Amino acid sequence: MGGAASSLLAAIPAHPFNDLAGWIEQVAVLPVLYRAGLMQWSELSFGWTLVAVYGVTQMILAYAVCVPLERRFPIERWENAKPVFVDVFYTFLARVGILPVMTFVIFYAAQVQLDGFLADRGYVPPMLETMIPALFGHPVVTFILYALILDFTDYWRHRLSHRFSIWYALHAVHHAQRQMTFWSDDRNHFMDEILSFLWFMVVGLMIGIPPLQFPLLILMLRFVESFSHANIRLSFGWLGERLLVSPKFHRAHHALLGAGQDSCNYGAVFPFWDMMFRTADFTRDFGPTGDHTAPEAMASGSYVAQQWSGLTQVARTLRG
Amino acid sequence: MTGSSYLARRTLLAAPALLALPAVARAAGGGTGPIAIVLNSGGATISIIDMTTRKVLREEPTYREPSHWALTPDRKKLLIADASGNAIFFLDPATGAELGHKLIPDPYQLWFSPDGRYLTVTCLRLNRVDVYHAASLTLAHRFKVGEMPSHLTYTPDSKTVFASMQQSGTVVAIDLASMTPRWTAPVGKTPAGVMWHDEMVLTAIMGSDHVAVLDPANGRITRTILTDKGAHNIFLTPDRAKIYVTNRVAGSLTVLDAKTLGFIKRIPMPGGPDDLCFAPDGRLWIALRFSSRVGVYDPVTDKTDHIPVGRSPHGIFISTLLTDHPALAAMKLA
Repeated sequence: MGGAASSLLAAIPAHPFNDLAGWIEQVAVLPVLYRAGLMQWSELSFGWTLVAVYGVTQMILAYAVCVPLERRFPIERWENAKPVFVDVFYTFLARVGILPVMTFVIFYAAQVQLDGFLADRGYVPPMLETMIPALFGHPVVTFILYALILDFTDYWRHRLSHRFSIWYALHAVHHAQRQMTFWSDDRNHFMDEILSFLWFMVVGLMIGIPPLQFPLLILMLRFVESFSHANIRLSFGWLGERLLVSPKFHRAHHALLGAGQDSCNYGAVFPFWDMMFRTADFTRDFGPTGDHTAPEAMASGSYVAQQWSGLTQVARTLRG
Repeated sequence: MTGSSYLARRTLLAAPALLALPAVARAAGGGTGPIAIVLNSGGATISIIDMTTRKVLREEPTYREPSHWALTPDRKKLLIADASGNAIFFLDPATGAELGHKLIPDPYQLWFSPDGRYLTVTCLRLNRVDVYHAASLTLAHRFKVGEMPSHLTYTPDSKTVFASMQQSGTVVAIDLASMTPRWTAPVGKTPAGVMWHDEMVLTAIMGSDHVAVLDPANGRITRTILTDKGAHNIFLTPDRAKIYVTNRVAGSLTVLDAKTLGFIKRIPMPGGPDDLCFAPDGRLWIALRFSSRVGVYDPVTDKTDHIPVGRSPHGIFISTLLTDHPALAAMKLA
């Protein structure tokens, strides 16, 4: 290898996400924490910054890939794409905004209580790697196992969110979108987010904190979720459709027939669980999305209107 | 929220980099010369560096978040605290070879008492200070004496251990003979590093810009020494002439006169300086938390070389400490 090539390689940071997060931490986050008298959170703030960097990177990646494809191979074209802008706001809120910090703080507090409770009784909180010692030293395998378990539990969370009408009253915010794009992945009612968070918190406490050391894998998984919502006429083929959730597979879930309590294709990343539990439907074509039963405000209203609409739907469901 | 978004939202913590390929790295083998052992909190790995060539020989895995280390009194084992992994890993301090691990809750910082009888562990996340019998690593006593216990130091007679509480803004003195807290003293916003020095307890005030000097009898602040923003940890040089303070927010080191505690020098050290060790050649090996690098600072030339390591290097141990008696003594290991 030539000297110039070696120099170029040497100049590429080994941990670019980490180094970028470190730079942001030094120039922006730590000075703010210092001035606010919150330096006790400096150990953890680096993790938050890193998550935000991953989130922004994932958004850029999704934008760079999905926008050209949505323009070239759209399933639908719209005169007025205003409802999509609300989904963009949801995405920022979920990926780099306050939600990651809030969920982290809540999880952290709960984990401290539970782990402390266990420690005082002579137990060490469980982790996949301690439950399956052979995993130690094989971090990629460990991560994939965590991803499979979490995706499996997410399948059931998602399925139950359709099964129970009061839960679906909230989840309908996600389904009401008639102009589904890759931005729609994070379009969720905040109470639905909380329920999802609690669900995964329980799982996380049972199998340990999933390692976050694999930014590329995490970005890939998040990309699959965004991509599956994209307005792209794309199937992965017979085999591919059965290995990874595609825009075609997930659109069947978001189709008008998929809304409500009797849906299909609940999987977020892997379609295995739908195949295993007989909820997979590979036959549906690229139909229109939305939920006929959802109020119009939930479909085309502002962020606040959609959230309020979710609450009124819950109240209506409770009243029977 | 979906499974991977859950992953993405959960900060935390730690573990090996995807491209680290520990098995391949292991095959490269280790040298016979002195090594630096770097604890990468964000990558859940331990980087083993040949101090002569300054090349990373290999990376060893941990569970989640290796933070700090302690050398056993016989110097045969290096204990690595893996806080969110709830484990202590044992390494051969001369080669970095892993010798096993033991599950214990939330070990963040840990240090053996000078008499070798106890191992005190601060559990920063779980708000506990755990004192273990050093020989068996069984729990002797658990203290809930403040929030976010951080760093610790002992009196030379091993009768008292002092621990800083980051959230509470206090330092706590614990009597190891009676296993009871002796005093709790407010010392300022977010105290971190603590060091016994000349019949005083020094603590770095990370939420401010100074080191507080405490009376070990009652914790009263007798003096404050201005350093720089985010004063984090405190180290005595092997010749016992100087004290280095790492300043996390400012990105600097402050050099103090060990006798007078007077200011000598400020050294810019961007990258989030954290733990450091003094090599026999006079250079400082410094973990730089935010830059995925170890800095090797030469006080003679005032230059710093950088060695890329894993993510978020936190604690650092150099094997020259095993035979460098002045350095061992400065770190209260001899």
